[in-house]
Amino acid sequence: MRSNSVHSDDTIDCGSLVPLKVLVAGGFGVGKTTLVTALSEIPPLLTEQEMTSASVGFDAAEAVPAKHTTTVAMDFGRITVDEALVLYLFGTPGQSRFWFMWDELARGSVGAVVLVDLRRIDDCFPAVDYFENRRLPFVVAVNRFPGADDHDTESVRHALVLAEDVPVLWMDARDPAASRGALIALVEHALARTTVSSRS
Amino acid sequence: MHQADEQQQSGGRVVPVYAITGGRTRSGAGQDMPVETLVTATAARGVDMLQAEYRTAVELATHPVSIAEVGAALAVPLGVARVVVADLVDAGHLAAHLPPSTDGGPAPEILERLLEGLRAQ
Repeated sequence: MRSNSVHSDDTIDCGSLVPLKVLVAGGFGVGKTTLVTALSEIPPLLTEQEMTSASVGFDAAEAVPAKHTTTVAMDFGRITVDEALVLYLFGTPGQSRFWFMWDELARGSVGAVVLVDLRRIDDCFPAVDYFENRRLPFVVAVNRFPGADDHDTESVRHALVLAEDVPVLWMDARDPAASRGALIALVEHALARTTVSSRS
Repeated sequence: MHQADEQQQSGGRVVPVYAITGGRTRSGAGQDMPVETLVTATAARGVDMLQAEYRTAVELATHPVSIAEVGAALAVPLGVARVVVADLVDAGHLAAHLPPSTDGGPAPEILERLLEGLRAQ
């Protein structure tokens, strides 16, 4: 049904509400929830996505979810940017078996902050690969765990085989100002990409 | 609302989640609504007649909230929240505000506004 309140055209109506989203990715325990908490104006909420491995189509005979249904939980937070813009931050499950969720989440997003713990740098490879392959803007934010300062940006860039233009920054995910800095770096990067090259 | 809170705290559900939506996991109009889609309550009458979860969703939307927030408040998966929201949009109780673009990222004008807003915080 067509409803006058649902509009999906690309025009910007200054009077209407505009939801936006950013993904917070990285390995397990890297600080995704901490970062969302530092930035969000509300205590982070938990949402669940229920998935069946085979089909998700509706069938009256299967009105009750089957046993193989799995539930994936993710944290999210919210920043009311101005009277019309509302930005959501979604902490994406780090494990690769949840990638099916990322496609839906990633679609239309501003981009991603990939959090890195240098003691377990391999954990962020799936996220970096994912965003590179989808050509989604992302920044790499090194969370300052003990020992992080023994490394420099160039070695991180090299270890992750990052393109020249991908920003790498060092931050403490518990610090709201530093976390906001990472977010600003992402939006600047996304903006630079829209002006340098049009989407292919 | 209170009921949803209790359910969230106890981690259990009284009824199967899809019972809320009559077993449906999809809704015609709202199938493609992204999780960040904002909804606001309209002035439509008849909210009192709605099922509890639906009424809660409309009450939440007194201020703009996303489908994700509706799901969190009702303690239901996103798929259920999406059906609830879509039904309420169809019934005229909620207005949906979709993201500016679902393919590719937001337009430069939007990103500039976002940047400005974040820097001002």
